[in-house]
Amino acid sequence: MDRSGSLPQSAVVDGKSTENWLRGQARLARRPISLAVALGVLSGLLLIPQAWYLAHAVNAVVLQHASLAEVLPWLWPLPAFFALRFGVMRVSEQVAMRAAILVKGNVRSDLVRHLQALGPAYVQNHHSGELAVAAVDGVEALEPYYARYLPQMALVALVPLSILAFILPLDWISGLVLLVTAPLIPVFMILIGGGAERLNRRQWRQLARMGAHFLDVLQGLTTLKLFNASRREAQLIARISDDYRRSTMSVLRVAFLSALALEFFATVSIAVVAVLIGFRLLHAQMGFEAGFFILLLAPDFYLPLRTLGAHYHARMEAIGAAERIVEILEAPLPQMAQTRARPLLGRDIEIRFEDVHYVYEPGREALRGASFALAPGRVTALVGPSGAGKSTALNLLLGFVRAQRGRVLVGGHDLIQLNPDHWLSGVAWLPQRPHLFRGSVLENIRMFDETIGFAAVRASAQKAHAEAFIESLPQGYETEVGERGQNLSGGQVQRLALARAFLKDAPVLLMDEATSSLDPETEALITEAIAGLAQARTVLVVAHRLRTVRNADCIVVMDGGRVVEEGTHEVLLRAQGSYARMVRAHQVEASEQAHSEPRPPAIGAGGGIPHPNPPPPAGEGEAGGGSLS
Amino acid sequence: MRDDLKVFARLLGLSRRYWGWMALGALLSSVTVLANISLLAVAGWFLAAMAVAGAAGLLINYFLPAALIRLFAILRAGGRYLERLVTHEATFRLLSELRVWFYERLEPLAPARLQLYRGSDLLSRIQSDIDTLHHAYLRVLVPVLVGVIAVAVVATVLSVYNSRIALLVLSLLLVAGVAMPLIMRHAGDRSGAWVVETRAALRATLVDSVQGMGELRVYGAAQRQAQQIEHLTRRINAEQMRLSRLSGVSEGSVALCASFAMWGTLLIAITLVSSGALQPPELPMLALLVLASFEAVGPLPLAFQKLGETFAAARRVFELVDAQPQIAAVHTPSPRPLDSSLTLRGVRLRYDNQGPWALDGLDLDLAAGKCVAVVGPTGAGKSSIVRVAIRFWEYQEGEIRLGGHDLRSYRPEDVRELIAVVSQDTHLFNTTILENLRIAAPGADEEAIIRAAQTAQIQDFIAGLPQGYGTYVGEAGVRLSAGQARRIAIARALLKDAPILLLDEPTENLDPQTEQAVLEAIDRLMAGRTVLLITHKLGVLHNRVDEILVLERGRIVERGTHSELMRGGGRYAHYQDYLVEIRESR
Repeated sequence: MDRSGSLPQSAVVDGKSTENWLRGQARLARRPISLAVALGVLSGLLLIPQAWYLAHAVNAVVLQHASLAEVLPWLWPLPAFFALRFGVMRVSEQVAMRAAILVKGNVRSDLVRHLQALGPAYVQNHHSGELAVAAVDGVEALEPYYARYLPQMALVALVPLSILAFILPLDWISGLVLLVTAPLIPVFMILIGGGAERLNRRQWRQLARMGAHFLDVLQGLTTLKLFNASRREAQLIARISDDYRRSTMSVLRVAFLSALALEFFATVSIAVVAVLIGFRLLHAQMGFEAGFFILLLAPDFYLPLRTLGAHYHARMEAIGAAERIVEILEAPLPQMAQTRARPLLGRDIEIRFEDVHYVYEPGREALRGASFALAPGRVTALVGPSGAGKSTALNLLLGFVRAQRGRVLVGGHDLIQLNPDHWLSGVAWLPQRPHLFRGSVLENIRMFDETIGFAAVRASAQKAHAEAFIESLPQGYETEVGERGQNLSGGQVQRLALARAFLKDAPVLLMDEATSSLDPETEALITEAIAGLAQARTVLVVAHRLRTVRNADCIVVMDGGRVVEEGTHEVLLRAQGSYARMVRAHQVEASEQAHSEPRPPAIGAGGGIPHPNPPPPAGEGEAGGGSLS
Repeated sequence: MRDDLKVFARLLGLSRRYWGWMALGALLSSVTVLANISLLAVAGWFLAAMAVAGAAGLLINYFLPAALIRLFAILRAGGRYLERLVTHEATFRLLSELRVWFYERLEPLAPARLQLYRGSDLLSRIQSDIDTLHHAYLRVLVPVLVGVIAVAVVATVLSVYNSRIALLVLSLLLVAGVAMPLIMRHAGDRSGAWVVETRAALRATLVDSVQGMGELRVYGAAQRQAQQIEHLTRRINAEQMRLSRLSGVSEGSVALCASFAMWGTLLIAITLVSSGALQPPELPMLALLVLASFEAVGPLPLAFQKLGETFAAARRVFELVDAQPQIAAVHTPSPRPLDSSLTLRGVRLRYDNQGPWALDGLDLDLAAGKCVAVVGPTGAGKSSIVRVAIRFWEYQEGEIRLGGHDLRSYRPEDVRELIAVVSQDTHLFNTTILENLRIAAPGADEEAIIRAAQTAQIQDFIAGLPQGYGTYVGEAGVRLSAGQARRIAIARALLKDAPILLLDEPTENLDPQTEQAVLEAIDRLMAGRTVLLITHKLGVLHNRVDEILVLERGRIVERGTHSELMRGGGRYAHYQDYLVEIRESR
C-alpha cells in the first residue's frame, strides 16, 4: 500500500521565536542557573592550581632529581583539590537540576491553568492524548535545556578564558595556538551544523510520520486481518522504518561530522601545542614546569566546547517540544465580562433563551435566534435533528460557550453577567458519555471533595440505583475505576454520574440523554433514577428517545438553530407539525415491520399513541422493567 | 540481577546478524580510546625527554615521538568518527528489523490477545520502546567491550613497568568500571521505575482533566484537579533530584578514581625514579597514561543507571512477542467447503476464564443463500458470533461448521476468504480511496473497483472529488462522512466477493437518509449470498430476512418471522419500546 505523502507537511515553525520563549522562561530560575554557572567556573578554576602543583612536583623529580620526601609537600594538597572539585561538581549538577525543575513546574502549571481557562469548547477540538503529551513529555523535554545547555553556554566562554589567562603570560605561543583554534571550532561546527538544523526538523517530521503510519496500521489491524491483508503490511512497516533509519542516519552523519571537526581541531591543536613546547624545551627556551603545566591544561581548555557539542541536541529537542507548548499557551482565552455578579438564585429557577445566536465559525451556525423557556421545577425536552442546535443550547447553559447575540436569562439574571462558578454551583450535569476519573468509585461520586462524608455518598448512590453494583465490586466504594471506566459497563457509568448529580442536589439539572442501547432492566433502573432526580428541579433534557420525550412537561422542537414548535406531547401531535412527523416516522416504520400484525397505525386519532404495552410514566420504571423480566 | 542477564542475553541474541559490525565498532572504539591514552602518554614523555635533553645539551630523535603524537591525534578523531558511523548504522538497521519482527509477532495476536491494549500503547511499543533499545547496544554492549579491551591493554602495559602500579590502577579501574555501574544500576532502578510510574499517573490525570473538563467545572473540582497535578509534579521532582544526585555521584566518582589512580601512581613512580628503576621522562608519561585510561570506563556508570529504562522497554516488547496467539495456526490444507452454510451448535465463548459466558450454548443455522437476523440488547453476544465465525476468537465449547466441515479444520486465513464482514467500526486507512479499496483485493483492476463502487452507491461521490480515487481520506477516514465511510466498507466487501456475508450493525450511527442509501447498497451486496444480519435497529429488518433470532445473554430466546414474533408478544415485541429513537422525517 502506498501511503507516502499522506501526512500534510507540518508548517515551518519559527525556531527563533520559540528559542526566545525558552530563554524567557529561564528568568524564573535565574538564580540557580547563575549559581550553577558560578560553580562550573569554580570547578574549572580548581584545575589550574591542581595542574600547577602536579607540574611542579613532576618537574622537581624529572629535572632536579628530587626524592619523594622532597616533593611530598606538593603532592599532599592534590587529594584536597580532587575532593573539592568532586563536591563542587555535584552541587553544581544539583543546582542546575533545581533550575530545570523550577521552570518545568511553572510551565506545566501555566499549561494546566491555561487549558482550564480555555475550557471544554477548546479541548473538544483537540486530541486529549496530544495535549497530555505536550504537558507531560513536552515539559520534561525542556529539562536538559535548562539543566545542561544554558549553563554550558555560559561556561563555554568563561572556563577557557580563565585557563587562557594563566597560560598566556607563561607562554604566548601556546596561548596563541589555543586562542586561534578555539573560535575556529564553533565556526566549523556551525558551517557543518547549518544543514543539521534542517535535517533535524525533517527528522522530527519523519518521526511524526512514522508514528502516524504505525498507529494507522495498528488501529486498523483487525480490519487488515479481516481481508487477510495484515501480513502484506509487514513490508510497509519495513519500508517506513527503513526510511526512518535512513533519515536518522543522515542527521547523525552530520552530527558526527561536526563532532569530528571539533575533536580533530581540539586534538590536533593539543598535539601542536605539545610539539611546539617540546622543541622549545629542547632548545632550552622554556622551563619544563611551565610546559607540562600547559600540556595538562590544554585538554581542559577544549572540554567545555566538547560538552556543549554533546548538549546541542538537548536544545534541538527542547525547541521541538516548546513549539507545541507555545502554541497552546498562545491560544486566545474566551472574553470575560467584567461584572460577575453572585445574586441569590433560590431553588425555583426559570431559564429563558431570548433570541440567542451562536456561530462556531462563519458558515457553521448553531443557533439562529432561539427563544424558549424552561419552567421552574419542570422537565423540558429538547428534540430535533442533529445539528439543530440542541447541544449548543446545553453548552450555553453550562457556560462552555457564550451567546454572541441575544441573551440567556437564569432566574431573571443575564447569564453573561453571572460569576460562572456561582451559577454552576447550582447546576448538575449528566453528559451523554460521563467521564470517570482515575480514582476510586467514592472519589468519582464526590468528585475528590474530601469534605463530603461517606454516608452522603452512599445515600446518593442508593438513589441512583448504583448501590448494589458498587457493593459487588471487588473493593466496593474503594474500587479504582480507569479511563472511561474500563471495568464498568455503560449502564454502571451512567448510574455513577447520576449519583454525582444526586449528591450535588442542585436546583437545575441539565442532561444529554445517552444513545447507547442498554438491556431493558438497566434501562428501567436508570429511567426510574432520572425521574427521581428530576423531581422539583428545573430540568433540560436533550432527548433522543421517544419515551423520554413523551413524559416531558414541555417539548421544544428545534431545527436549523431555531425553535419550530413547543408544547406537550399531545398538543404537538395534534398540531400535525414536525414533531408529529417524527413520531409518525417511527409509527410507519413499526407498521411496516408489522405488516401482518393486528395493530392499526392510529396517527392523529386524538390522544396518545396507541400501543400494546403503554410505557410506564417516569417514576414507575420498574413496571417497564418487570414486564420484560 | 539474573533477570537482567536474561533480558540482555536475549537482546544480544536478537542482534546476532550484527555481531560483526558491533565487533568492528568495538575495535575502532578501542583504537580511539587507546590512541588518546597513547597521545597523552607520549606527549608527557616527549616534553620531559626534550626538557632533559635540552638541559643536558644532548641530541634526541624527536621525529618519531612528534610523528606518533600527530598519528595518535588523527587516529583518535578519525577513529571516533568511524566507530560512531559503524555502530549507529548497525544499531539502527537492527532496530528497523526489530520493528518488522515485532509486527510479525503482533499480527497473529490480533484481535483477541490485543483487546486490552490501546492503539497508542502498541504504538509506543513498536516506536519508542524499540527505539530505547539502542541504549543497550550503543551505550552498554559496545562500551563494555571497549572497557574490557582497553583495561586489559592498559594493565598489561603498566605491568611491564611496575606490578604495584598496574595493580593499583587496575583495582581503581574496576571500581569505576564494574562496581560503580552495578551500584548505579541497583540504585537507579527504583527511582527510575518510580519516575516512569508517576509520569504515567501524571499523564492519566492530565488526560482526565482534559477529557473530563466539563464535569470538573460543573462539579467545582477543577481547582482540586490542578492541585493533584501539582502534587504529582512535586513527586516526580523529588525523584528526579534523587536521580540527579546519583548521576552526580557516578560521574564524579569516575573522575575521583582517575585522580587518585594518577596520584598513587606518582607516589610509587617517584621512588622508582629515585632508585633508578624508571627513567625520569617515564614519570609524566605514566601519570598521564593512568589519568587518560579512565576514559575507557567513564561512560559505564551512567549507562548502567539508565539500563533500567532500557530493560523495562525490552520487557514491554518481549511481553507481546511471547504472547500465545489465541487461534493456533493450521498447517494442513483447508477442506473444500460443500456449500456456503454456517452452523453453530451449543457454542460457548467467554473472554476470560472467570468471566461470564458471552455465548452460552448458542444454536444457529444459516443455510446457504438464506438471510437470518440476530437482534438483542447491547451485551447480548451479537458481535461475539462474528468473532468466532471469522476465527478472531476461540470458542471453548460446542461446534461450528462452515460449508459442512469443522471450522477448526480450516486455516484461519481461508475462513476469512469465505466470509466478508461489514461492521460499524471498519477502519479506513490514512491513504487514498483506491488503496483503501484495494485492501480487499490487491490485484483488482480499475473496472472491478469502479463496478464495486457503483454497486455500493459511492461511485458518483468519488468521481465528483477533484482527485477522484486518489483522494486521501485522512486519519481514520475523517475526511469522509459516516455514510460515505460505510459505503466504502460495503464496496470493500463487494470486492472481496465472499460467499458468506456478516453484517454487524451496518447502519449504526447513521442518520435516516444516509441509512436508507446504505441499506440500498447493502441490498445489492446481499444478492446471491448467505447473510447473517446483526442489529438492534428493528427498522432495518423489514422484508429483508428469512428468520429473526432474539439473542439474550448469549443464547437464542425467541425465533421466528417478524409477524410471528410480534404476535407472540414476547421480548422481541417489547424491545421496540426501549430501542426506538426519535427520527426526523423530511
